[in-house]
Amino acid sequence: MPLNLYPAIFEAKNLNFKKRDLTILENVSLQIQRGDYCGIIGPNGGGKTTLIRLLLGLETPTSGAISLFGIPIEQFKAWNKIGYVPQRSALIDSAFPATVREVVAMGRYAKRGLFRPESAEDRKRIDEAMVLMGVEDLRSRLIGHLSGGQRQRVMIARALASTPQVLIVDEPNTGVDVESQHRFYELLRILHKTKNVCIIFITHDIGVIAEDITRLFFVNQTLLTSTTPSEMLRCDEMSRLYGNPSHLVCHGH
Amino acid sequence: MMLEMLDYPFMQRAFIAGIMIAILASLGGSFIVLRRYSLLSETLAHVSLVGVAIGLLLGTMPLYGAVATSLIAAWLIEYLRSSHGLYSDSILAIFLSGSLALAIMIVSISGSFNASLFSYLFGSILSVSREDLVLIGVFGTISTVLLLLFFKELYFIAFDEDVAKAGGIKVQWLNYMLVSIIAVIIALSIRIVGTLLIGALMVIPVVSAIKFEMGFFKTVLISIAIALISVIIGLAASYIFSIPSGASIVLCLLVIFIFSMIINRR
Repeated sequence: MPLNLYPAIFEAKNLNFKKRDLTILENVSLQIQRGDYCGIIGPNGGGKTTLIRLLLGLETPTSGAISLFGIPIEQFKAWNKIGYVPQRSALIDSAFPATVREVVAMGRYAKRGLFRPESAEDRKRIDEAMVLMGVEDLRSRLIGHLSGGQRQRVMIARALASTPQVLIVDEPNTGVDVESQHRFYELLRILHKTKNVCIIFITHDIGVIAEDITRLFFVNQTLLTSTTPSEMLRCDEMSRLYGNPSHLVCHGH
Repeated sequence: MMLEMLDYPFMQRAFIAGIMIAILASLGGSFIVLRRYSLLSETLAHVSLVGVAIGLLLGTMPLYGAVATSLIAAWLIEYLRSSHGLYSDSILAIFLSGSLALAIMIVSISGSFNASLFSYLFGSILSVSREDLVLIGVFGTISTVLLLLFFKELYFIAFDEDVAKAGGIKVQWLNYMLVSIIAVIIALSIRIVGTLLIGALMVIPVVSAIKFEMGFFKTVLISIAIALISVIIGLAASYIFSIPSGASIVLCLLVIFIFSMIINRR
């Protein structure tokens, strides 16, 4: 077993989360390490997005402990290390007055702090993120005037502008065409392999990233299993977890 | 005639107050319009009328009462919205009608429905005192500095509150700060625009500017320009035609809004 010199990016111990007496998540413990490419799968309403919102501090657990980069979440300050692209982020109000450049620049806001105008470093990172996601030619266009696939790339560019060590994408392909989806998976692979960014990918469609992921979590109210993908993606295992006969289709990309 | 009106001290005060309020209202209005929270300005304007009524009843300076009541209401509204999961528009509707009922009750009991209250409802260029100007100057400067200081964070929250929070931005604190500033802007504006019309000064310049389809920073600049033009023309019209300043300002805003719809139609 490889020795981890660095603390886990995310560590959750015995997490419980209830909303209006309804149990959403129960007794979830997990560790996500640097270099991981994690897939989080599970049925609708199983608590995948809630788990991510807890790890990001957007919700407070009923009980349990969370640490980020070895620091308890209550004391954690370096949020710019985490890039987050939430569910349905490509569905933006078409009248919102924001250019692509302004949206990508938001990724630097948490890092800049008060009284500081945009620095040369900020401009460099914003330009790099736009080039990497292929949206530099759209910089002056309004975000609401772009296609679903273009908006998705802008949202990822915003997350990357803060030069994060981990990128969380939550069911990112809502309203996005197939060609853009394939390009998106390719970009995630590049980020993971060449930039060493830890990827956490929440999806229903695990087949599209089956070849890339190094760890897979199945969440359905609790963390049912955390394992390597080859073991979990066996059809009999999937059938056991989903409760129906399941057949895995690996998409070419 | 334009220059002649500036010879009068009351018009000088009205123009200075009007220009400060135009900048403040359109700057603060930019954030609430983009958050689909436009009714907040209308609600707090009605709430501030309770403070005015209490001020008139007690014989104290009504503007202080307006600032106090609208601030308390702004915090309560934000608390109910963020902590109790109630629909924002429902909360605003409750506060809007409830506060108007309370204001009418206080005014009826005190028998103080007079010209003074009329000027608070619709604005009056004659009513801006030196003390009002100092109050608008002090609170207006603090509000402008805070809005400019946290401009990028408030913009990020308006665009995507969750991602802003996940990025380490103090969303809850900034939300309370924004509603407090909006409450203060509204209370300060009622001398010029009146409680029944201030909502228009916060919303119409921004909605008109959005029609020009620019980025956020340019949209804010255009909305400030629209508010300034409307306030200057509206105050001049109020002097020339002896009409309430709030009404003339809002009619100017409406003309610009229609114009922006026509030239930017697709």
